Amino acid sequence: MDENQIGIYENVLEYISLELSRSLKKIPNRYKAHVEEIRLRIGLPLNIYCMGSDYFVTPEGSLTGDRVKAKIVRKQDMLKTFQLISNYSVYAFEEEIRNGFITLKGGHRVGIGGKVLYGANGIETIRNISSLNIRIAREKLGVSDNLIKYIVDIPRTTIHNTLIISPPQCGKTTILRDIVRNLSNGLEIFNNKGLKVGVIDERSELAGMYNGMAQHDVGLRTDILDGCTKKDGTIMLLRAMSPNIIAMDEIGSINDVEAIHESLKAGVKIIATVHGSSIEDLISKRSLSMLIDEKIFERYIFLDNSKGIGTVRDVIEGNSFTTIIK
Amino acid sequence: MEVLRIIGGLLIILSTTSIGFYYGNRFSNRLENLIYIEQCIKILETEIVYGAVPLPDALTNVYYKGNKKVSFIFEEMKKHLLNNKDEDIFQSFTYVSDLLKCKLNFKEEDIEMFLSLGRMLGSSDRQDQEKNFKLILKQIAVFQNEAKLERDKNEKMYKNLGILTGFAIVIILL
Repeated sequence: MDENQIGIYENVLEYISLELSRSLKKIPNRYKAHVEEIRLRIGLPLNIYCMGSDYFVTPEGSLTGDRVKAKIVRKQDMLKTFQLISNYSVYAFEEEIRNGFITLKGGHRVGIGGKVLYGANGIETIRNISSLNIRIAREKLGVSDNLIKYIVDIPRTTIHNTLIISPPQCGKTTILRDIVRNLSNGLEIFNNKGLKVGVIDERSELAGMYNGMAQHDVGLRTDILDGCTKKDGTIMLLRAMSPNIIAMDEIGSINDVEAIHESLKAGVKIIATVHGSSIEDLISKRSLSMLIDEKIFERYIFLDNSKGIGTVRDVIEGNSFTTIIK
Repeated sequence: MEVLRIIGGLLIILSTTSIGFYYGNRFSNRLENLIYIEQCIKILETEIVYGAVPLPDALTNVYYKGNKKVSFIFEEMKKHLLNNKDEDIFQSFTYVSDLLKCKLNFKEEDIEMFLSLGRMLGSSDRQDQEKNFKLILKQIAVFQNEAKLERDKNEKMYKNLGILTGFAIVIILL
């Protein structure tokens, strides 16, 4: 398992300039398997996030908290890394750069920071890249196995409308992805009958599409709309793909709420995620409080990282707002 | 003895004629290759501006779609680009510039034009790439006209010069 995880880390290093990747390759193996983020900022120390803490990387590949010993990221390292990430083709990633990130083979995401240029139609591009955040995607198959029993609606062979709530970096997307995979592949309680799932992957994070191929396992009966807004995606899925379930990541705007209403009218079930840590957080957002008042969601799943990323803190039933976790 | 003389004379004429043809053909080769490279750059433009195909794949597509006499340089560039992680696309262009000179009879100015393509390729959005392509294609058209004039003026002259020099040497030696 660890070997596999180290392999994932080393594949990501292929996208980093030789100068920096040489140091990153030398870090101890026990860290390699758990690196979550590699952060590059021009003129500042090379930084990695690993097992909940952050470290600077020295030229010899050891990890330190001392910025003086750390390897400094130079402008040419940044340029070279950006070239490798964009496959020497900025024009091919225009849309992604406008959204502030590029998805790599393997589903890893690279966030981009720099000078944002505006044009007539909003953000045009990002120039003078000053920081890159490479988030290593580590698929965790089976993390939702214990959770699935709370969201299935066995008599109707479908699921309850579910909202997954957690602060950032607590495994929302990972859990959602695994739920989608489980439902799409088929569950034992449904006699292994799978459901058709439509995934609206606005930020290319759920399926991590690269060249038309999902880089994460999202199941056998899953259709993906990559980079599509939730509103447009819902209409497209309903019109032609006849899904049983629509999954979407990070809802929040009024348009997203409209999209959810649209799906419910068509009798399609919804699983979605949202940033927050309590029901009160959600009520404070106008668009989401509408959904709560209308009792659209039948299950609320709260995550945190008290016992590691993706800890299920609570599962709440949506009509009575009582906890049902055993 | 007489036979040897005739054979020697023929050999001299043959070699000077081939030298004349070699020099003469360089002019028509340059023109022909400028036409082929224009086609290749147009294919590359389509791949980039309309297809948004990533550069390494776009270079391979140009290799397959273009005339192999010239398009092989695009495949060479792709190999160089992928094998030398520390370098960039401009360095891949400079890497093949020797080939342009020896194999394709390009002049310094043609090579400079080709290198200017390498300076901008892939580094900006599609709109910007398109503008640059237009500029380079215009430049190629100018070079093609110039190459055509040069060919008309020089090709025949070098070829005739080769044959006539051969004859002249033979006459002097006889």
